[in-house]
Amino acid sequence: MSTPKKILVYVDGTEPSITAAQYAICLASFYKADLIALYVVNTKAMEDLLKARIFLQDEQMEYEHDMEADAQRYLNYVNELALKKGISILPRSSRGSVHKEIVDLVNEEDVDLLVIGELARIRSRRDEFYDEAERAMRMVACSVLIAKNEDKVWEMYESLV
Amino acid sequence: MPLIDLVQESVVRIPLVSTDKPGVLRELIQILKDAGEIEDYDAVLEAIRQREEKLSTGLEGGIAVPHGKSAAVSTLKLALGIAPEGIDFASIDGEPSKLFFLLVAPPNQSGPHVEALAEIVKLAQSKAFCRALTEAKDAREVVNLIKGE
Repeated sequence: MSTPKKILVYVDGTEPSITAAQYAICLASFYKADLIALYVVNTKAMEDLLKARIFLQDEQMEYEHDMEADAQRYLNYVNELALKKGISILPRSSRGSVHKEIVDLVNEEDVDLLVIGELARIRSRRDEFYDEAERAMRMVACSVLIAKNEDKVWEMYESLV
Repeated sequence: MPLIDLVQESVVRIPLVSTDKPGVLRELIQILKDAGEIEDYDAVLEAIRQREEKLSTGLEGGIAVPHGKSAAVSTLKLALGIAPEGIDFASIDGEPSKLFFLLVAPPNQSGPHVEALAEIVKLAQSKAFCRALTEAKDAREVVNLIKGE
């Protein structure tokens, strides 16, 4: 059985996505796999808000700027987590529709495994259409791992030498 | 962050008691204060007012989405008020607003803020859903409707 050679973790700054990053770092260490961390600036959502007139033009630019800064901050944080365990990460930031960007990167980089954070516990019927991580999970060609139980994942990450 | 994770009965009021735009903003922020979601009422009100002064967030179809960023909150907060009779909110189409989604986010969490706003836009596209919210009996029914139950 072949092991994953290239792992992609999707990071959006939420706690579950940081847990996913810790799990992905462990997997990359165990399997000696390449690890890519992706943050997507959701410009599609911002365009929708501009069209709906919820956002003003300058407001859209301000939020976009903030989200670019968020991307850098969270990718730096994940990179630090990886470096502490001797793992190097390829940080990637993109702009657009989140699930499409994930699917495109999986294809482009020939990713073997996508790691995402736990999905919200309370679900509505609508959410399966709107949750970007869930949409990506359904659409990617590779296997998907959903990291759960942040305490256990943290223990696993901490025990990594 | 899915809207459903933000909506709970304690942050929903139907019907709103206010009859004008400033009153609606104050009432929605007071709902957050009463629910223990915020402490600094004045800071949140100022953030929301500043945004409204640029252009009203009263949209077409009886929906208003007052929002802003404030360091007074550490996570995204939502209050939902419903005024079945409608309130003048200086909306785009000039019609009274009935559904008020107030969102306040910390300055460093633009991502969840944008996603929640985008979800509200999608909800607003269903006239039947908006009508059901407007006709809801109480906060519990509103929460259940948003959960999709």
